[in-house]
Amino acid sequence: MSQRFRLPAGGHVDRSRRLAFTFDGRRFEGHEGDTLAAALLANGVRLVGRSFKYHRPRGIFSAGVEEPNALVELRDGTRREPNTRATVVELFDGLAATSQNHRGSLAFDWMAVNGVLAPWIGAGFYYKTFMWPAAFWERVYEPMIRKAAGLGRASGQPDPDWYEAAHAHCDVLVVGAGAAGLAAARAAGATGARVILAEQDFLFGGDLLNEPELEPWRGEAIAALQAMPEVTLLPRTTVFGFYDQGVLGAVERVADHLPQPPTHTPRQRYWTIRAKEVVLATGAHERLIAFPGNDRPGVMLAGAARTYARRFGVKAGETAVLFATHDAAYDAAFALAEAGTRIAAIIDPRADSAAMQRARQAGFTVQAGSVVTGTVGGNALRGVETGVAGSGGRANAVAADLLLVSGGWNPAVHLASMSGAALAWDEALLAFVPAAAVQRERSAGACRGVHGIGAAAADGAAAGRAAAIAAGFAPAADVLPPDTPAPDHRPYELWEVKGRGKAFVDIQDDVTADDIRLAHREGFSHIEHAKRYTTHAMGTDQGKTGGLVGAAVLAEARREPVAKVGLPRFRPYTSPVTWGAIAGGEVGQHFQPVRRTALHGVHEALGAVWMDAGLWKRPAYYANPGDADAWASVLREARAVRERVGVCDVSTLGKIVVEGPDAATFLDRVYANTFSTLQVGRARYGLMLREDGLVFDDGTTTRLAPDRFFVTTTTAQAGPVMQHLEFHHASAWPDLDVSLASVTDQWAAMSIAGPKARDVVAAVVQGIDLSNAAFPFMAVADCMAAGVPARVFRISFSGELAYEVAVPAGYAATVWQAVMTAGVPHGIEPYGVEALGLLRIEKGHVAGAEINGQTTAQDLGLGRMLKKKGDFIGRTLAQRPGLTDPARPRLVGLRSVDPARQIRAGSHLLVDGRSQGWITSVTQSVVDPGWIGLGMLREGEARIGSSIIAANPLMGEEVPVKVVSPHGYDAENLRVRA
Amino acid sequence: MLRITCPHCGARDELEFSYRGDATVTRPGPDADAGAFHDYLYLRRNPRGWQVEWWQHNGGCRAFLKVLRHTVTHEVRAVAAATETLEVPGA
Amino acid sequence: MSAPEPVHPLAAVARGRHGAAGAAPLRVALPAREIVQVMLRRGQDAAFAAAMRAALGMDPPGPGQAVSGSAVTAIWTQPGHWLLTAARRNEGALAARAAEAFAGMAAVADQSHGRTTIVLSGSAAREALSRGCRLDLHPRAFGQGRAAHTPIAQIGCLVHQTDDAPTFELTVFSTLAEPFLHWLLEAGAAYGVEIA
Repeated sequence: MSQRFRLPAGGHVDRSRRLAFTFDGRRFEGHEGDTLAAALLANGVRLVGRSFKYHRPRGIFSAGVEEPNALVELRDGTRREPNTRATVVELFDGLAATSQNHRGSLAFDWMAVNGVLAPWIGAGFYYKTFMWPAAFWERVYEPMIRKAAGLGRASGQPDPDWYEAAHAHCDVLVVGAGAAGLAAARAAGATGARVILAEQDFLFGGDLLNEPELEPWRGEAIAALQAMPEVTLLPRTTVFGFYDQGVLGAVERVADHLPQPPTHTPRQRYWTIRAKEVVLATGAHERLIAFPGNDRPGVMLAGAARTYARRFGVKAGETAVLFATHDAAYDAAFALAEAGTRIAAIIDPRADSAAMQRARQAGFTVQAGSVVTGTVGGNALRGVETGVAGSGGRANAVAADLLLVSGGWNPAVHLASMSGAALAWDEALLAFVPAAAVQRERSAGACRGVHGIGAAAADGAAAGRAAAIAAGFAPAADVLPPDTPAPDHRPYELWEVKGRGKAFVDIQDDVTADDIRLAHREGFSHIEHAKRYTTHAMGTDQGKTGGLVGAAVLAEARREPVAKVGLPRFRPYTSPVTWGAIAGGEVGQHFQPVRRTALHGVHEALGAVWMDAGLWKRPAYYANPGDADAWASVLREARAVRERVGVCDVSTLGKIVVEGPDAATFLDRVYANTFSTLQVGRARYGLMLREDGLVFDDGTTTRLAPDRFFVTTTTAQAGPVMQHLEFHHASAWPDLDVSLASVTDQWAAMSIAGPKARDVVAAVVQGIDLSNAAFPFMAVADCMAAGVPARVFRISFSGELAYEVAVPAGYAATVWQAVMTAGVPHGIEPYGVEALGLLRIEKGHVAGAEINGQTTAQDLGLGRMLKKKGDFIGRTLAQRPGLTDPARPRLVGLRSVDPARQIRAGSHLLVDGRSQGWITSVTQSVVDPGWIGLGMLREGEARIGSSIIAANPLMGEEVPVKVVSPHGYDAENLRVRA
Repeated sequence: MLRITCPHCGARDELEFSYRGDATVTRPGPDADAGAFHDYLYLRRNPRGWQVEWWQHNGGCRAFLKVLRHTVTHEVRAVAAATETLEVPGA
Repeated sequence: MSAPEPVHPLAAVARGRHGAAGAAPLRVALPAREIVQVMLRRGQDAAFAAAMRAALGMDPPGPGQAVSGSAVTAIWTQPGHWLLTAARRNEGALAARAAEAFAGMAAVADQSHGRTTIVLSGSAAREALSRGCRLDLHPRAFGQGRAAHTPIAQIGCLVHQTDDAPTFELTVFSTLAEPFLHWLLEAGAAYGVEIA
């Protein structure tokens, strides 16, 4: 199809490069250098979408990021992306776009009935309507609202592309590469400073792209920047947020302009930029005027139409009316006339101006003192109604297919505001500009109200130079700005033309001037409240074209100046950012790093079924071919430990070396029990409390030398315990001479447990007498194992005779194999975390389910461990009445009365129908087959021997259980001491 | 996102640090009563303005640092080692 | 009987080219190292410095610094803590040497198995690292002999620049070396990564 609105020459499109694309399935052609919006206009496509609430027909309103209307679904299948702005989507060959938010066709949308219902569905409609009956909330109202809400559809499938993070540092970050930004980057770059220039467009130049005669200046500026080795140019990069201490976030659309990202190329890159100084050269956004029908396809910002004509060589219409309140907007009329559009009339509320006179001299019809009072047409503009300013009456109608609107320009102050700078009202520009900087930033050019290319470039150069000097660089040669006339951007104050029909202040969110007044009448008069009540200035455009207009309407209703009403607070993101970019590379296997012990490969070869323990992968159990199910594996492994011998990887336990002359004193203070009395070569079980008196962690600690201890923590608390120790050393006892080293990764450890453990360990280690007399329970010694240095601990978690053999991690596989070989005659089996859990529940050892941050030592039956003398963390507050109350739930053992009936962790323990506690851990027993568990039960000790109910309402189960001692298995510890 | 200048490592991202709250409270001595420990553990001024805070540079040198930070503007005015004292300006 | 050689934590990683087939890939080496953590005791600063001069011929480096002697490199890691690294010889040799040299002045913990060093080299090394490393590695801000600990891809990493190629020695916890290397391969995929 021909591009009948394309001009024969001019602009920044390459007419020799034809790009095919589809919109709603229709095939079109555009050129390299086009945006999707430019290419649609070139093909005469005006209707591109339906509005959010009323489903009104909408066209292309702007030529940039401020676009409220032209939101389309881009691409299809797994790459479908909703709500992309056609005005910034770079055209590529094969692009497929679809219009959004209509039922039925785009041209005839059944939901447009909402427009007829409009008097009843104004602001607050949802808040007021969908309240009764409550039973309808989930079943009726929510599905209905969800169906009606939103615009485009996400693909609902995994994104096939990848995204990456990137980190940058610079002396000067320049945001925006219009005349001000280019000049700023050049001035800063010339000093030798490290400069990043980020521009959201794919071309540098901003408004320079609309000025063919300034092309040499633009080209030279870009060439100069490219030649500076310390200048990084980032096109297609939107700086979306200004955070603390000079940190800014940006998204680079690396491959969005390609059909698919090339191999090894991310679709987008999420930059975190740390800048010593920031120059904001973000330009300004033209603002709309609220008048009835100001949303009809064919109504367009004046500057946008000029951009389509000059930059893209596209005529946005055949016959245009300009409705403007300031002289600078007249440039659009001249540019369009040059492009061949007939200027039917210029409507201006002012009495007279220099531009009006120039326009008349050029032969244009100028209606001074008049305003647009309405628009005529259906899915496309056919005419414009005009009237005398202030009269409200309709005077005239002008046939036109394009209505150019300009109510003035709003400096893009978003980033300055986010940096903490206040906003000041500029009486001449009728807009907010940044006030004094709080962070090390400065605005330059149109974003602080300095309009005109020459003036903006001069302002930018000064800002860039000042920024570089502030970053510690010596000033360099000046950048000469282009010499251009400065058009007058000071508008006549006209925010709204009142009349019959909808006058939108937020076209994207279908918010009218009447909605704003309604919000005020109903008490939502603060700008932040009015915003939330009406949805004004939300959405992808965040009110860039009409936000201030809505504030002005509110100001009028409040009878206060706009400056007093202000704007809603700006927050990131200035423009939409995809979730993919935010997630970056931290998806799939990179969501969190996977931590593997040195024995990972060994477990894999043994058929380990993995479970996650924090970042760790640990074998839950080893699935043997003969095992009927997981329980069969777990019971087989546990039985091997109880009857013969088993080996378990316990490398994940945290290990900390505490060393120094004050090491013993330090441990006495951080543990509830005493370590200064521990002999060298012996281990002791230790209990660590938090300062509030609750149990924090447990583990065994070994005295390796008078001033050196080897502390172990639980797997889960290894990091927190290290921080806890470091904090108290730094804050409470900095006088103690002690050092802390994490050696978790240095040592791999395996527990060899079972009646035959001694035989197996003896066959593996050398240089150690393992007899009970020489190496009793809780003894520790260095030795050799399978020819490598090792340390053997006689400690037990399972309740059996057990040894923990620790070796430098690189030898773990060697030693494991030696243990397995030595264990063959004894029927050794590797056992996983599930069997370990089974064994400790049988034995009554507490673990994370019991040490859950809510239990005291006394609750766990460990109260006698608390030393009576000397300070330690948690000592004082553990004595509070609430924590020493004898009625607190205490640790008990539990046994299902019917061995076949399963009990579940989390179940309530009912006595006489009332909950008196809960089950913390359950397992099947191998010692006395059936379901057993541990739990916390009020008056637990007194209830030993009684039968109560384990209730799990979620499963609809009530299971009789018998309360037993938690230490039912080998209560005298004969086995561990055997 | 904050940037905190560690006295040992230089300016680093907030992500490298972990926050540990008001650094002006000190752990009571061994003879203190439950009331003193209660105040130490639970009572905070929670000022709107300047506060001296504990931050651990656990992603870097692991040092516990005292940071003078404004709770509204997020300005960081001073960072010092654990053993040093930072004064709250104009409090 | 001579001790068996330890298994390197990254022994299972495929050698050769990963990612793009470019002419100037990043180069990764996985050396066997001895690594020892040294922790100063109170008031021993001067004695410790003298002992290090005597034993290793160098002063303890200050914050953010590393110094290399003939066989041993010392890297500052935290106040009063250093890592000593050397090419692997015998199990525990460097730790024993350090323990002897610094007896009474510093605690010594062998970390040869607990830390793994990945050596990354090539003109694109800075750019690849910037995909996860928040440090400023620009020559004006970093350089040969500089070292810093920082999280990269959620994994704590000691970054030590050893030359201007540039070459970075990246030392991480051994149990996290594999996910770290996978991250690095992804970050460097656009340039190609050659694992020696």
